[in-house]
Amino acid sequence: MATPIPMAASTDRVFEAVALKKEYDDGTVKALRGVDFHINQGEFVAIVGQSGSGKSTLLQMLGALDRPSAGTLKFRGTSLADRADLAAFRALEVGFIFQAFHLLPTFTAIENVQIPMFETKHSVSERQQRAIKLLTAVGLAERLHHFPSKLSGGERQRVAIARSLANGPSVLLADEPTGNLDSENSDIVLDLIVRLRREQNITLILVTHDMGIARKAERVITMKDGRIISDGRNETSQPD
Amino acid sequence: MTFFTVVVRGLLRRPVRTGLTLVGISIGIAAVVALVGMASGYEKGIGKQLDVIGIDVVVSNMSGGILPKVYEASLQERIAKLPHVADTTAILMQMLSIEDAPMMMVSGRQWGGFAWEKLKLIEGRMPRDGTEKAVVLGRLAAEVLKKKIGDKVQIEADELPVVGIVDGQALVENGAIILSLPVLQEVTGNEGKVNFIDIRLTPKSTKEEVTRLCEQVKEIFPAGRAMVASEVVGTSQGFRIARAMSWSTSILAIVVGVLGVMNTMMMTVFERTQEICVLLAIGWKRSRIVRMVLWESALLGFLGGLCGVAIGVVGVKLLTTLPSIRGMLEPDLNPRLLGTAVGIAVVVGLVSGLYPAWRSSRLTPSHALHG
Ligand SMILES: Nc1ncnc2c1ncn2[C@@H]1O[C@H](COP(=O)(O)OP(=O)(O)OP(=O)(O)O)[C@@H](O)[C@H]1O
Ligand SMILES: [Mg+2]
Repeated sequence: MATPIPMAASTDRVFEAVALKKEYDDGTVKALRGVDFHINQGEFVAIVGQSGSGKSTLLQMLGALDRPSAGTLKFRGTSLADRADLAAFRALEVGFIFQAFHLLPTFTAIENVQIPMFETKHSVSERQQRAIKLLTAVGLAERLHHFPSKLSGGERQRVAIARSLANGPSVLLADEPTGNLDSENSDIVLDLIVRLRREQNITLILVTHDMGIARKAERVITMKDGRIISDGRNETSQPD
Repeated sequence: MTFFTVVVRGLLRRPVRTGLTLVGISIGIAAVVALVGMASGYEKGIGKQLDVIGIDVVVSNMSGGILPKVYEASLQERIAKLPHVADTTAILMQMLSIEDAPMMMVSGRQWGGFAWEKLKLIEGRMPRDGTEKAVVLGRLAAEVLKKKIGDKVQIEADELPVVGIVDGQALVENGAIILSLPVLQEVTGNEGKVNFIDIRLTPKSTKEEVTRLCEQVKEIFPAGRAMVASEVVGTSQGFRIARAMSWSTSILAIVVGVLGVMNTMMMTVFERTQEICVLLAIGWKRSRIVRMVLWESALLGFLGGLCGVAIGVVGVKLLTTLPSIRGMLEPDLNPRLLGTAVGIAVVVGLVSGLYPAWRSSRLTPSHALHG
């Protein structure tokens, strides 16, 4: 997707949010109360904060899963509100990983990974080959034709990771990707995300409760009551 | 994996529900095939009969019920004198309940008239003269009534012996009880009355001449109508009733089918809300979601249509072997009717999918994915 880049200065700027707000239920719930930040190409940002502080809401705005109530959100210099093809944005520019995996139960692993590829021009066999490659990369070459119900939690999340990378996005958005996993699988999944992100120079924005995970990020944004209360480099960031 | 795989997978996820929905559509479509096929078979049968006997124009008063009203037989003499009329024959046709058969065509034909010409004797003999109180049976009528030569047939209050069995070369003829006109007039208390005067035209009559003839008949017989044989089928009230009934019943069946498919599609859309949100979240266009739902419902309709046509055809074939129906009806199950039935089923599917498809395309991706 060729996105016009109006200013040289914004070349590395993936997201830029100004006074971003999100209300639910006709304004009775203020999930985001005015959020300003920008995220640069290749960054690994962790978003932390108490339950209900607006982390998931913010991530959904970034993934264009919903529209902000006010403020602007730009992706590579263009406001998302101005994009006519939000579906293409979701399909090609970003990959989304959910806490609850959200694989489609009636499709096998390899089919799940191919689902987002319908929005590309690849042939059936190209899509298949790519899905095999992605599943191999997440260590599931032996599980291609398993249905999600026949996979462990960790395996399901790895299929979901392969799916999020289906169309080669430049940004990964992960909402508590290890929240439903035991500690062993958490480590596997997290290491996988971090490694793939590094190999493919993907911008990673990861929501988590776990400070241990947040410590691996280069930058930590802390939220409270729909606002950002701190945003800083993680000095102890340990690229592994 | 192709898009079609996605569509099929959607139907297979609830095989029992999909199966029950298929049964529902199939029954509706089977009803369409059976009813319309029988009505159209009935029409074709009559058309064929006129053809076989060589009737060009029919004079009757169609304003009555299923059969035309009776009128004075004396009209025949005046019609015979009109230009371009080569021959005429008078007929009194009645639909009567005969013994165990609820409805049988009983045809009283002017003795010596051309309506007797095409009857081929299979067994026995024809009536000796126009006054002999005897009947011949079309071969299917003989089968239905289980009568042989020498048996008696009860018509109204009289018992008439069967003297012959004939092949009339058309289903309606073969299903009829045929006797001399004056005998039927007497038996049914219709002395001097007929309800059909069939006309044969002089060879090479032009269309205009025929039209003119019909107008002249109208002048002599204002209550009646002269119709070119090919039009008779389309205008007869009986046929119109049969056709209207078969289509209105069919529409009812179709409406039931639509409700069934719509219910199923609504349920799949509702229970898949989260999955549809996932599809939207990972980048499916709304139009693709709409297409997925519509393809599913159209496929459901198509499969239901195929099953329905099969059930309809087999059902009608079985029905026509029943003794009380046999000989009355030769269903017309032409490929066009069968194709139309499948087409209707697909449209039923598509229409039923519209609202669910629209509903699913209105979802916001984040709707079911919070947390
Ligand atoms: N669809 C919705 N309708 C109404 N209120 C909502 C909706 N989604 C979120 N909220 C509310 O918005 C606020 C922020 O929710 P959000 O899910 O963003 O929090 P969070 O930081 O991700 O919390 P958690 O750590 O528990 O996942 C909460 O008060 C939540 O109840
Ligand atoms: Mg959350």
